[in-house]
Amino acid sequence: MPESILSVENLTKCFPTKQGLVRAIDGISFVMAPGDTLGLVGESGSGKTTTAQCIVGMYPPTSGDILFKGETIGAAFNRRPKHVKGDLRIVFQDPGSSLNPKRTIKQILSVPLAVHRVGTSRDRLARMKALLEMVELPADEYLYKYPQAIGGGEKQMVALARALATNPSLVLLDEPTSALDVSVQAKIINLLIRLRRELNLTYLFITHDLSLMRNVASRVAIMYLGKLCEIAPTVEFFEHPVHPYTKMLLSSIPVVSDEEEALKPHKAISKGEIPSPVNIPPGCSFHSRCSERGDFCAELDPEMREIAPGHVVRCNQRYGPEGE
Amino acid sequence: MALLEVKDLCVGYRIFEGHLRVLNRARLEVDSGERVGLVGETGCGKTTTVKSILRVLPIPPAEVASGEILYRGADILRMSHRGIRDLRRREMTAIFQDPLQSLNPMFTVGTQLRDILKDSMGGRGRGRLSRREIEARCIAALHETGMPDPERIMHNYPSQLSGGMRQRVCIAEALSREAQLLLADEPTTNLDVTIQDQILRKLDELVDEKGTSVLIITHSMGVVRDLTQRMYIMYAGTMVETGRTKDLLAAPRHPYTQGLMESVPRLTGVGISDGIPGRIPNYLDPPSGCRFHPRCIHVMPVCKETVPEFFSVGEGHVAACYLYRS
Repeated sequence: MPESILSVENLTKCFPTKQGLVRAIDGISFVMAPGDTLGLVGESGSGKTTTAQCIVGMYPPTSGDILFKGETIGAAFNRRPKHVKGDLRIVFQDPGSSLNPKRTIKQILSVPLAVHRVGTSRDRLARMKALLEMVELPADEYLYKYPQAIGGGEKQMVALARALATNPSLVLLDEPTSALDVSVQAKIINLLIRLRRELNLTYLFITHDLSLMRNVASRVAIMYLGKLCEIAPTVEFFEHPVHPYTKMLLSSIPVVSDEEEALKPHKAISKGEIPSPVNIPPGCSFHSRCSERGDFCAELDPEMREIAPGHVVRCNQRYGPEGE
Repeated sequence: MALLEVKDLCVGYRIFEGHLRVLNRARLEVDSGERVGLVGETGCGKTTTVKSILRVLPIPPAEVASGEILYRGADILRMSHRGIRDLRRREMTAIFQDPLQSLNPMFTVGTQLRDILKDSMGGRGRGRLSRREIEARCIAALHETGMPDPERIMHNYPSQLSGGMRQRVCIAEALSREAQLLLADEPTTNLDVTIQDQILRKLDELVDEKGTSVLIITHSMGVVRDLTQRMYIMYAGTMVETGRTKDLLAAPRHPYTQGLMESVPRLTGVGISDGIPGRIPNYLDPPSGCRFHPRCIHVMPVCKETVPEFFSVGEGHVAACYLYRS
C-alpha cells in the first residue's frame, strides 16, 4: 500500500493563445494521503479547474508528473489504463450541463457501468438502484426521469452517483455546490461527508468558498495565478494564516456572526484584481496586490518552504532572500 | 411616510401549463435613507419583486393580480407612462447581477454613461448640464468607484473590461445621477470574494456619502450583514420574517430562517446542518396556508389552512409564523 494516493510533482500546463502562452498551472506540487480531503481554493482564473482536468486526464500536462497510487498517469488520456480511469472520477460544477438532457438517469448511470464492465448486465440494474439509494434518491421514482425534470441539487446527486458507479478511491469535486442554494448545498455536503466515511473516499475539493472548506476539508491549499501559495492543515490554516493572499481572502469573506468576524484577519484589506495569466508579473506573482511587499518581491520568485509541520508557504517575506 | 412601500403584492405568470402564482401578498417597506436587504433562495420571487417595483415585468406572461407599490404615496402600478419614466429618470436606479447583460456591448462605456446623464440632466433650461459638465461628471463618477484611469476607460468597450470593472461601471451609471432609491439585484454574485469585498465597500461608501436609500437583493447573508440595517427573508413569494439585520441574524425566529442560517457554512467550523428537507413549492399549485408548511418541522393544523400574519417576536422584529401567536 503506497503512502500517498495522489502526488502531483511540479505540474505545469500551458495553453498557446493568440495573445501568447498562458501558463494556467505553473509548477505545482502536492501530496494527498488516503482519506484526505484537500480543499483547493482560489479566485476564478487561478488554475484550479485546469489542475483537476489535468489530474483526471482531460489535458495532458506540459511538464511534471502525476502519480496515482505510485503509478505515473501523466501521459495522454488515451494511453491511461482503464482501471485508473475507474478509480479516479470527477464531479463537475454545473450538473445542468454535465448530464445529457436527452438521456434518462438510468441511461446516464449505465454508461460507466458498461464501460468499466461492472458486474453482468443483469446485476447492473440492481447496482444502479443501489447507487441512487446511496445518494439518498428514491431509486424507483428517479430511474426513468430526465435530468430536466429534477432540481439542481438532485442533478448534482445523480452526477455524484455516476462518479461513484465504478467504486473509485479518489473523487475530484470541481465546485460541486457553487451553483446551488445554501440549504441544498448543506444537503450535498453532508452526503459527501457521509460517503467519504462509508466508502473510504479521498476528495480533492475545488472551490472558492473558504468558509465551506473550514467545515469539510482536512487540509486547505490556496492557488493564485497557477501557483500554490499556502498549504496547511485546516485548523492551522484558519488560525495562523501566513501568506498575505490567504489573509486577504479570509478578510474578504462575508460572515454572518460576530464570532466569525473575530476570526478574520483585519489588517489585510483586499485591493487590485487578479492579473491576466498572459503576462504574469515577474518575481512573486502576487506582489502587485500584496500589502506586505518587500523590495525584492518584484524580482525574486519565492519557493515553497515548510514553516511548520505540514504547513507550506511560498512567500519571500516569511523567509526572505537571506533566510528567516 | 415610507419612501417605498409594497403592499400585499400578488404577481403571477400565465404559462402554457397554467397559472404560476409567484408573489403571494409580498410586503416591503423602505424608509428614506434606510438600507434594506431582501434575502431568499433561487426562485423565491426576489427578482420578480424588483422588476415589479421598476415596472419592467414582461406583461404578459406576467400579470399583477392585486396589491400596490407606493413610491412617496403614488402607486407605481397605476402611473402613466410619463410618470414612471420620470421616476426612473430622477428617483430610482438599479444595478443588476450580470453587468455583461446590463451594458450594451456595441457602445463604449463613455457613450453609455453620457447617455444616462444626458437623459436625466442634459438639454436646456435650469438645472441642466452642458456637454462639458456631463463629460466631467462621467469621469468623476467612474473615479468615485475606484476605477484607475477613468479617461481611458471612457473609450473602452465593456468586453475590454474585467467582471469587477464592469460592475464598477454599472455602479457609476447607477450613482452618477442623484437618485433617491437604489435597487441592487445580486450586485456581486458573479464576482470573486476579494473583488466582491472591494465593490461592496465602495458601494457602502458612496451610498453613505449621497444618502441614497438602498434595497439590496441577494442570497448571501454575509453581504446583507455588511451592508444593511434591516432585512427581509423571503420564501416562495412571501416575506416570512423581517427585523434589524443584527437581531435577525443573531436570533432568527421563523423555522425557514433558522434552517437557512444553520445551512450557512461558518468560519468557526461548527459543521453544517442537514439543510431544509424538501424543496421550493411548485407555483402552479402552491401549498395552502403557510407556503412553508410542507417543509416545516413545527407544522400545526392551523398552518395548512390560513396564511399567518406577522407576529411580533422582538423590537421591530416580526415573523409570519403561528409559533409566535399569543
